[in-house]
Amino acid sequence: MVPTIFYAACAIAAAGLALLLMQSGSKFRMGATILGLAGIAWILVIVVQTIPTPASEIGPLGLMILCAFVSVASAVRVITHHRPVFCALYFVLVVVSGAAIYVLLSAEFVAFSLVIVYAGAILITYLFVLMLAQQSPADIGSADAVDYDRIAREPAGAVIAGFVVIAVLGGSVFSVSEQKAESILDQNRAIRQGWGDLSMMPKLLLEQARRTDSTVTAVVARTDGQMIAAQTDHSAIISVQRGCQKTPTDLTLAPSLLPDNTSRVGMALVTRFPVSLELAGIILLMAMFGAVVLARKQTDIADDDRRALAGLGKVMDGNQSSQGKANR
Amino acid sequence: MNQELSSGFTIAANAPIAVALAISALLFVIGLVGFLCRRNMIIMFLCTELMFQGAALAMIAFARLRMDVSGQVFVIFILTVAAAEAALALALVVLLYRKRETLSADAWSDLGES
Repeated sequence: MVPTIFYAACAIAAAGLALLLMQSGSKFRMGATILGLAGIAWILVIVVQTIPTPASEIGPLGLMILCAFVSVASAVRVITHHRPVFCALYFVLVVVSGAAIYVLLSAEFVAFSLVIVYAGAILITYLFVLMLAQQSPADIGSADAVDYDRIAREPAGAVIAGFVVIAVLGGSVFSVSEQKAESILDQNRAIRQGWGDLSMMPKLLLEQARRTDSTVTAVVARTDGQMIAAQTDHSAIISVQRGCQKTPTDLTLAPSLLPDNTSRVGMALVTRFPVSLELAGIILLMAMFGAVVLARKQTDIADDDRRALAGLGKVMDGNQSSQGKANR
Repeated sequence: MNQELSSGFTIAANAPIAVALAISALLFVIGLVGFLCRRNMIIMFLCTELMFQGAALAMIAFARLRMDVSGQVFVIFILTVAAAEAALALALVVLLYRKRETLSADAWSDLGES
């Protein structure tokens, strides 16, 4: 029963989006916006209703739904706005609200790197290229946007294709959502994993032990070979040597000394994915080479001269050479 | 019972994660629709970035669900690929713009009609 309602909500959101893309009159536009927002709201309500929410998660859920509306509405503006520069600025809004959702999902490091890399670097590059390649207003005349920005290409077909994808995705989620886990279980597991990560960072571990007890000189392995024994009350016990005494004694670390998100991501990067990290560096290097090589093509105006120097004839056909002259 | 639950694959354990997954699906689909509809080449690439955003958000949501930072690490790799893609794609767009003096993708439609 639920999937049927879900498909109806998808159809309404799709109709709103298609009407927005078809660029009708302004009064029509308002109705299309309301229709699209209603469809999205209905999808979210269905998603929230399907899963019982504990009272402790009402607050994050409200913020999440707020961010959902901001990000989805500005994503729709990205694909419907006539002026490319505004599209890019709306994309910044998508990125910022996406970063807020990341923070709500306790991924702080990635949230901030998303804002820095996307909103700070990639989008600025996009804006530069947009302004570089934009036609001057005199060429366009009185119209505020050129034709290829104003008229969408087959909006109905595209929207149908897109929302068939979302209906299939949503339907498959509903078919397996009977399995549920309690969030307290996740909490315990996260804390166990956090202590496990800390045991791989000996310097930080010593620092945290010193923060608990300033007389600690070294952290040693426990009798069972582990560095840290996680307890059910979220604290952990380690073996330490204090001062000049030889025999190790136990020390309890409070849950507040767990490694934070940034150090856990860094730890995972260098212990579990070192090769991927190197490959990412190579990809960036190759992209830089590629961009430099492509951008250097600017000098192709002088190709004819170069060929003449080498004793070859001109190869440019009429169309291309006139384009080249226009460029100059 | 807890052991059984923690070892099995669980999905949509709580509502914020389900909402995040819904947003990620919507962002992906909006990016897809935009890629198919828009005719400005730069905006088409902007729409692929929207699709990247959707995929990254799904990664983060599943990382939160599984309480594992691997998903967040993968988002860092997605950022890397997106940055590389933006650099190359924009260089290509500038190159194409110099040839035809327009950003319209239709200017190159004769490539498919030989």
